[in-house]
Amino acid sequence: MTDKDNMMIEDFFKQAAQQQIEDNGFTERVMKNLPDRKLEVARRLSQLWTLFCLVVAGVLFFVFGGWQVVTGLFYASIRVMLGWLEVQMVTASTTEIPINLWGILLLVAIVIIYLPYQTARKLSATL
Amino acid sequence: MAEFSDISLVTQVAVFRNKKAFDQLVRKYQSPVRRFFLNQTLGDEQLSDDLAQETFIKAYVNITKFRGMSSFSTWLMRIAYNVFYDEVRSRHQTEDVDTSVAVARQTVSANDTLKMDIYAALALLKPDERTCITLQLIDGYPIDQISKVTGIAENTVKSHLRRGKEKMANYLKENGYDR
Repeated sequence: MTDKDNMMIEDFFKQAAQQQIEDNGFTERVMKNLPDRKLEVARRLSQLWTLFCLVVAGVLFFVFGGWQVVTGLFYASIRVMLGWLEVQMVTASTTEIPINLWGILLLVAIVIIYLPYQTARKLSATL
Repeated sequence: MAEFSDISLVTQVAVFRNKKAFDQLVRKYQSPVRRFFLNQTLGDEQLSDDLAQETFIKAYVNITKFRGMSSFSTWLMRIAYNVFYDEVRSRHQTEDVDTSVAVARQTVSANDTLKMDIYAALALLKPDERTCITLQLIDGYPIDQISKVTGIAENTVKSHLRRGKEKMANYLKENGYDR
């Protein structure tokens, strides 16, 4: 790059540098499309209200022993499931069920190969 | 003085949401912002105006984030740069440039030959080279300001400018501008 080249390039762009674009209603269009202040305030208030409700719900949950209720429900459901399993084992049918080896292999193949393949394919499509 | 008036207007918009103050800012900066987009889109007026409008709306929404570390015009051009590159990414870069050149040829047909030559010459550059070249030679930004606007390191800006100018010089010589 010589000085002559630089001058030639600067001359070439000189006219473009001096170009002023007339407004021709552009500013009015921008001002018309600005987001409404009232809508902005309403959205902000709505977000604050949601946050306030979440905080109140969290406080009430701990104040009224919500955690104990949740753990109680969890252990109760486990007890019910174990009871159901016990009943099933005691009253299980004594009839032998024939096992299809090919069926089991197909099931295993689906679980080991097909399902992870489908999951990976969907993930790669979404990312 | 100009910077002081910009800061005063920005403060009125940020604190009081004064739309008249923002109107003044848009009137003052519409020309450089639209010219920036015209150069990046190689003369596509419709797309340039849409992108410029998006730039001003983003500036209005995020005006409280302007900290005055750089001038308002640099901050605004940074938003414009991001808006343009979001558009390029969303349209897939190569497709966008090709389309823009085609549109530019239609749009520019009524304008003078030199303008047409400028867009044709800019079409030879890669997007980053084009941005650096136009910011320096048309908008008059120094290298450190170009770096702030684009977020590209100063040395890389210098490389883009050097390569861009070499391509420009070759183009101008081939088209008889050196006589």
